[in-house]
Amino acid sequence: MEEEKLKYFEKYREIIRDFDNFLETLKTPQPYWFRVNTLKIQEEKLIERLETKGFRVERFRGLNAYRILEMPVKHPGATVEYSLGYYYIQDLSSMAPVLALDPQPGERILDMAAAPGSKSTMIAELMNNSGTIVANDISVDRIKSLAANIERLGITNIIVTKKDARNANFDGKFDKILLDAPCSGEGTFRKNPWGFQGADEKGHSILGRQQKMMLRNAVRHLSEDGIIVYSTCTYSPIENESVVKYGVENLNLKVLKIELSIPHLEGVKEWDGEKYEMYEKCIRIYPHLVDTGGMFIAVLAKQ
Amino acid sequence: MQFLQNNSYRIYFIERFGIPEHVLNTYTFWERGRKVWAFSGELWDINGVEVFGIKALTKGRDLKPSTAFLRIVGKYAKKNVIFLDDNNTLAFLRGRELNIDYPADGGYVVVRRKDDVLGCGFYVKKEKRLISLIPSKYRLQETWV
Repeated sequence: MEEEKLKYFEKYREIIRDFDNFLETLKTPQPYWFRVNTLKIQEEKLIERLETKGFRVERFRGLNAYRILEMPVKHPGATVEYSLGYYYIQDLSSMAPVLALDPQPGERILDMAAAPGSKSTMIAELMNNSGTIVANDISVDRIKSLAANIERLGITNIIVTKKDARNANFDGKFDKILLDAPCSGEGTFRKNPWGFQGADEKGHSILGRQQKMMLRNAVRHLSEDGIIVYSTCTYSPIENESVVKYGVENLNLKVLKIELSIPHLEGVKEWDGEKYEMYEKCIRIYPHLVDTGGMFIAVLAKQ
Repeated sequence: MQFLQNNSYRIYFIERFGIPEHVLNTYTFWERGRKVWAFSGELWDINGVEVFGIKALTKGRDLKPSTAFLRIVGKYAKKNVIFLDDNNTLAFLRGRELNIDYPADGGYVVVRRKDDVLGCGFYVKKEKRLISLIPSKYRLQETWV
């Protein structure tokens, strides 16, 4: 069944380096990653407790990011420590946009499509619950899961709103904006290959249009020296480099080069006849680089 | 319905649990309906707010503190705190009632096990009963470790 579904990704053979290895990795289940909620417990203390219970974990390059190698339960959330909010299960690739955002205590940050809250709660943790995060989502059901995660992790500096990120007014300017845009989700294939839908050309195009509207709205709310982190968990250039190009050409944005300690490749140079001059500053994380999901990231600022 | 600021709710946590005022001054308190929320961020005048920080209290005949907020500030509580041993901890987290004689006032208590703040309980002093008020979503399942 997965073999059949893997054919979907053939369209990216020319743009994903080491493509056969990429495909082979898609056949393997994605490991669980987590981060320690340092608002509630020190990293070393939690790791010691989990190891005592039979977990075997591996820290990634000095980051608060741990890969689970072995666990005594079927799901990594089936522990007292999880229930107490001491850790959050989050793929390493999903931590990358927050690291690119580099949130600082006291800042005003907008997370435009926040649910279920992996990135918002990570931002809050890095800000030590100070400053203000406006975490927005359009879906009531998704907001419920966002609120539950905020509560479990003990996050107190988040205001949750339910607005349409394409045109909503967030009543002010923000130092930093995370636009982790709704997308075709190709980078999540390994988490749920059975339920994977992907998108056809028309689907990518519709999503791309919505993402551009969201980016336009993000610019409206950005302070003069602020930054926008645009990210998706998909590979389609229509939803990634093409949206960034739109920002550069139509919204007076520039792409910033950033350092990221998570292994990645540069963006796509050309797709379907469209050239992306800023491709070298874009970041793509693929499953075959460090055994994660997929992610696209670009950091944008006003020109 | 709007959130209305009312920081007088700090007094509840100071008086009931002996939590130092400087800890509670980190938060502003906001009422909406029967719920009171605690927020540690900078104030932001924004429309369409669904959630404002974290639920801290529910208003009723008495004020009922939330497990979520006690898990944040409960470690600073100096009174009306009940410490459990390992066996009772698991029972409490499963939502069970405990028979326990403890030097705490009757009413809402912070329940702990060593460094862990487990959440909110209700202590019936006359009957030496501790009722677990852990929300069902946080309750320990048999399959957990």
